[in-house]
This record gives sequence, C-alpha cells and structure tokens, in this order.
Amino acid sequence: MRADVIPISILTGFLGSGKTTILGHLLRQSAFSRTAVIINEFGEVGLDHELVEASEDSFIELKTGCLCCKIRSDLAQTLQDMLQRRDDGKCPPFDRIVIETSGLADPAPILQTLMTDTTIGGRLVLGGVVATVDSVTGASTLQREDISQKQVAIADAIVLTKLDLNGPAQPALLRRLAELNAAAPVLSADRGKIHSQCLFSAGPYDPHAKSLDVNSWLAQERHSHARHDADIQAFTVVRNEPIAAVTLTLFLETLAEHCGADLLRLKGIVNVAESPDRPAVIHGVQHVFHAPAWLKRWPSDDRRSRIVFITRRVRERWVEALLEAIGAEVADASVAA
Amino acid sequence: MSEAPLDLACELMAQSLAAWRVAGAVERSRDGAIVICAARKEIRIDAAPSNPMFRWMVTIDGRKRRAISIVAVLRQVREALDPGYAAKRVRVALTALVPY
Repeated sequence: MRADVIPISILTGFLGSGKTTILGHLLRQSAFSRTAVIINEFGEVGLDHELVEASEDSFIELKTGCLCCKIRSDLAQTLQDMLQRRDDGKCPPFDRIVIETSGLADPAPILQTLMTDTTIGGRLVLGGVVATVDSVTGASTLQREDISQKQVAIADAIVLTKLDLNGPAQPALLRRLAELNAAAPVLSADRGKIHSQCLFSAGPYDPHAKSLDVNSWLAQERHSHARHDADIQAFTVVRNEPIAAVTLTLFLETLAEHCGADLLRLKGIVNVAESPDRPAVIHGVQHVFHAPAWLKRWPSDDRRSRIVFITRRVRERWVEALLEAIGAEVADASVAA
Repeated sequence: MSEAPLDLACELMAQSLAAWRVAGAVERSRDGAIVICAARKEIRIDAAPSNPMFRWMVTIDGRKRRAISIVAVLRQVREALDPGYAAKRVRVALTALVPY
C-alpha cells in the first residue's frame, strides 16, 4: 500500500443546513489538523471560506461555480494542483481532503469525478460522504427539493443540525431519512460541534485501520424496507447462497445499462462462489463502478451477500427479478455444459 | 433449457414493464414461450433449440432475432418498447476502494 494515499471526503447538504459551521468546528480540532479543504460556492463571489478558520496545518481552497456540472474538470485540476504543491512542500503536508459542496450541488457527479479522473487516480481514496440536514426545516426541504433528497440518499452518514433550536428531531423527519437512506447513521451536531472521527469514518475505507470497514459501511441491521410510493428508495438485496462471478458481472452491467443515473449508489459485500473465503466488496455510483475489492477474510460470521441500493424510480422487485433471472440462466448454462 | 430460467425470465419481463412504466401484459403461451403485448407490439421470447451460443429467440412484430443471454433479451425488449431508452455502458473507476 502506498503510504501517501489520501482519503477524500465530501461534505454535502442543502443551503443553510450547517455545513460551513460544522467544517469550522472540525478544523479547530487537533484530530482534524492537516486537512485540505475545498469549498465550493454557487455564486460568483464566495463567502463561506471567510467564515471558516483553519489551523496552521490546514488550508482552504475556494471554487465558485457549480461543482457538479460545469467545473468537474476544474475539480480534478484543483486536486492535482494541491497534490503537486504538497509533494513540492509548497503547502502544509495535509493527510486528508474535504470537499464542501455548494448547497445546490448533486454529489453523485462529484463522486464520479473522484472515481474516474486519470490525473488523481491512485493518489486518493474515497472517504465518506456526509450530508447535513437542518432539523428545523429539513422535512419541508426534503419534500420540496429533489437535490436535497439526493444529497441524503447518497450519504454514508447524515448529521442533524440546529437541534438546539428545535429540540429532538421530529419522528417524521427521522422516518423520511430512513426511507431515503437507512444504511447511513444519523448523527447529531451540538451547535455545529461533532467529533471528526464519528463523521469521516463512515465511508468504505477506514484511514486509521487502513482497511475497508464493511460492517459499519453497510450497517445491515439498520435497513428498513423502502416506502413504495417514494421517488428515491433504499433497499437491500440479500442472498444466502453464493453468487457466481459471471452472474455478478452481468448483474452489475445490466443495472448500469438500464438504470444509469437512477442508480444513485450501490454498495455491498458479496459471497462469490469462486472465492468463498474472500468476499468481494462492490461500490457503484450511477454507471461507474469500482473494481471489486477482495477482503482477506469475512468480517463476521455472516456470509450472506448483502447489496444496498439507493435508487430513484428503480423498483426493488425488478432488481430482485433481474438477479434471479441471470442467476438461473448462468446455473442452467453451467449444467448444460 | 430447463423451466426455471423461463419462469424467471417471464417474471423479469413483467417486472420490467412495470419498471419502465409501460402498460401491457406478459404471459406464458401453451408452447412455453413468453409473450409480451405492450405498446402496440407483440413480442415472443422462445428458448432457442439446443444452441450453445444463442440461448434465446426474440420475435418482435414477426421479425426474429437471436439473443445470447437474458441480458440481451432484456435489451431487445426495452429497445422495442421504450423509444427514449439510451443504454449506459458501465464504466470502471480508476481509483480503488482500498489503496494499492
């Protein structure tokens, strides 16, 4: 493993949901020093970076414009420049990067840029995606704003903010968050304060253990069934029997082909028939997939395949039927051969 | 081909119509084929007889096309029923889930 691989996390959330306040608190924690931050604001003139005070070991870059549409290549270039400056000793030697998106940004294209750009591939590893939700206005925002739903749906962790204004989160809001993304832990920020380790250890890669932390990433036991009239749904496909490698490949290809942008996020641990002792960890955002990562061993006694889906207008029953049909055909062809 | 892939292919086609929001019906014919009536088209899906390469035969409005797998069948059916469909090809990420 390369020693200088740097985790990169995304802090997203709708306008006014408290992203910058949280970031300001994080950057004052010693555990969060040596952090490079990219703040993205939608308007021509950015202000948020003025509100964040970084320690001497951290530094902040500001990007205006919409990070998820017109300046994706600009994001890759910014990251490449930051890494070069770090290598040349021209900036503090940061060991993590956080991107604070604008409140109107779709985090999926940003994730895709981080997964596919040739100039940064190999230097960065995906950390968590964290979404802030205003506990006062969050329910109405989620009802009104599609982009807010998407920000929550894609997140690895959700942080409720402004609880000091409104008391405990309303059950209706918590239910809606569970419908959109039951796998993500819901954390609370106390006037913007939250422990950094709680926040950015929610992704697939644990920078402290330098390994995949699949159990907490999938958080299987928390999953509930999706509400069937919802546009965005979260559900889990579970298989007790191992899945043939070719079935898994065809399944993922077909999901990408037919669902495209409506497959917001997919993550899972799979018992591959040809590799019973080393499970595969899979991850995809829309039609972009990581190559499977093969764990050295199962993280627990649970050897079932568990694949978490966050989708928009993709029916759970269709996904189940697709996997069943491909699996049956592959089994039938194997017998015939 | 055994019955299980045919039954599950039939279920997949029924679920696919619902997923694509296409009104129509999917059923098995007496001779075992899957028949889809939707969007003013009749589509018939047969297990291809003893062909190791092309396992399926798809007939759309009388025109026959072979299909190598249920995935290819699904693509042909969607192209016939969903004019706005544009397939997305899977793209493999350059970054790894775990650093090399």
